[in-house]
Amino acid sequence: MEKNKKGTVKSVFKSPYMFLVPALLFYTFFWLLPVSLSLIESFTSIDGGFSLENFKMMFDDPLFGEAFRNTLIFAVISLFLQFIFALMFALLINRNFKGSKWFLFIMLIPMAIPPSAVGILWNTGLVESGWINSLLSVTGLQNLIELLGIAEGPIIWKEASGLQAVFMIILIDTWTVLPSVMIILLAGLQNFNEEYSEAARIFGANRFQALKDIVIPIIKPTIITALLLRIISGLQVWLISVMIFGFNNVPFLLERIVFYTDQVRLGVYSYKLSVTYSVFVVAVVSITAYIFIKLTKGKDWSGTSE
Amino acid sequence: MAYLELAALKKVYGKDIEAVKSFNLKVDKEEFIVFLGPSGCGKSTIMRMIAGLESVTEGNILLEGESIIDYQPKDRGISMIFQSYAVWPHMTVYDNVAYALKLRKISKEQIDKTVKEVAKISDIYQYLNRYPNNLSGGQRQRVAVARAIAIKPKLFLMDEPLSNLDAKLRVSMRTDLKRIHQELKTTSIFVTHDQSEALSLADRIVVMNHGYIEQIGTPNEIYHDSESMFVAKFIGSPPSNFLTVKVKEREDKIFVIHSDFELEVKNKYKKALKNKYINKEIILAVRPENFTINKKGILKVKCNIIEPQGSHVVINIFVGGEEIKVVSNILTLKTNEEIDLGFSEKIAFFDIETEKRIR
Ligand SMILES: Nc1ncnc2c1ncn2[C@@H]1O[C@H](COP(=O)(O)OP(=O)(O)OP(=O)(O)O)[C@@H](O)[C@H]1O
Ligand SMILES: [Mg+2]
Repeated sequence: MEKNKKGTVKSVFKSPYMFLVPALLFYTFFWLLPVSLSLIESFTSIDGGFSLENFKMMFDDPLFGEAFRNTLIFAVISLFLQFIFALMFALLINRNFKGSKWFLFIMLIPMAIPPSAVGILWNTGLVESGWINSLLSVTGLQNLIELLGIAEGPIIWKEASGLQAVFMIILIDTWTVLPSVMIILLAGLQNFNEEYSEAARIFGANRFQALKDIVIPIIKPTIITALLLRIISGLQVWLISVMIFGFNNVPFLLERIVFYTDQVRLGVYSYKLSVTYSVFVVAVVSITAYIFIKLTKGKDWSGTSE
Repeated sequence: MAYLELAALKKVYGKDIEAVKSFNLKVDKEEFIVFLGPSGCGKSTIMRMIAGLESVTEGNILLEGESIIDYQPKDRGISMIFQSYAVWPHMTVYDNVAYALKLRKISKEQIDKTVKEVAKISDIYQYLNRYPNNLSGGQRQRVAVARAIAIKPKLFLMDEPLSNLDAKLRVSMRTDLKRIHQELKTTSIFVTHDQSEALSLADRIVVMNHGYIEQIGTPNEIYHDSESMFVAKFIGSPPSNFLTVKVKEREDKIFVIHSDFELEVKNKYKKALKNKYINKEIILAVRPENFTINKKGILKVKCNIIEPQGSHVVINIFVGGEEIKVVSNILTLKTNEEIDLGFSEKIAFFDIETEKRIR
């Protein structure tokens, strides 16, 4: 009995849960605490009582609706584009053609550029006499654009607004993050046993069917990881918008947070507003991630259980 | 007209890796062909060219008289079993077998009927609803077999299908494969580097080496009538014994002379030796079981090592400094016992330069 008692004291420290302690501490201090504080903050009025006035204030923000819409459109369309293109490039590079190593190297360059430099790069490109318009006129595409009546004279990119501006931001973002999505998919493909798709092609599938029925379902866990990361960061877009169009012009949810935190000095109101936006973004991200996981979940075939 | 013909088939990888060098083979309908050869000799490359997974550098592949080298894999009517089985992990056994049939737009009822039929033949009926990850290697192999026979292929390719199985399962699987072949009579090509697999399965064996064909023949021809030293050495365990001997002519008789013995050649090879090889060195090849012991032999030797094998013993003997292995069913032989060794009629001679058979 004596021994046993001693054993239980010891076993608390030896129990597998002890391994969780560092992680638990980390999440408590750096995640749970700030999130709950913000949550409480967002539901208290300035004089301290429970109230929904912060949320009312947020919904009344004239740019809230547009920010919300832009964020969702951005997240969904960029996810789609990035997945399709990343998969195409990953499949291409995975075929190991001559020079594929160089192609991969070149593709990875945007990853090495820090976000603010990306902003500057495109900023200088999109001004009226920037490199994009120069490129268009040098290649003669400018003539084509004018011929087709898309624009007269050089395009003033920075005056784009509304959805056009959102699409521009989507393209720039896609350019930036494509390599990182592609790398994850490529890793998935390189672990993929080529004989699976060869078998499919022998048993009657064309290349596309082999991709759709065999390759993608088998590397699905990798794809889901890549896309989940993308949709989460897609919902948090703001920097490109601000760097190119400035605040308030092409609003996004996160752009609002930064705006109310950094740009306006309405004192306590802007602080409340930014906290409320943060809580809202957390909610949107969590719900989207949850729905995404639910939607993409298939039958479990990997396990050892029946 | 041959059912399948590989005509001067050649494969070069990159600039100069010649994996297959002018490969010629005619296969009859319902035949079971085995490609046998050491690792890297080009067996898989040929299979992949037939299946359409690898392009053909030169030559042609004719199936039922029609060139198929420009066809997509799916249009060739060929089934294949891979070394890794390549049973799709995200589909149940049922779906694995049914997939090819679905792509062929066959009706649901017909698919169901076929799947169940082949599942019974390959003995996986009770696993139809399982995922492959919950099956053993041998069971996965059977799924691969079921999937391959479900489409009633014109040609059935198997690339080392048994090499991932343990020794016992391997032997029972190969019996099953033979039984399935006897039942369905699908023309088959089977790749292996295991000679006992080859000998037990094949109607004809194609022995390959470095992208060449060394010999094509029935298991008996390959074993008893090896065309080259490579085949004589590659087939048989223990393999053929080689002794270097010199050909001499004395008073119209032909002898092969070794430092320890002289042997008069009386049989059909006498003429060939006389014509080309007088006073030259050649190789005398004798399979371990083609010696005589204590029956008017031609040299006295000591048994160096004796390895009992149950039904027979393998004796190591030194002849003129060279070690040879002799199989005997005299189980009472003792180490260091002196025996009277002789040769049976079944000996063969090889040219020392070309390593080809002297006939
Ligand atoms: N994709 C490739 N690129 C370059 N060389 C290759 C390629 N595939 C095979 N080879 C070479 O071609 C030769 C034949 O290969 P193959 O796979 O056909 O051999 P194998 O007889 O099937 O061997 P094993 O018994 O080990 O499977 C080998 O020397 C191999 O290195
Ligand atoms: Mg091989």
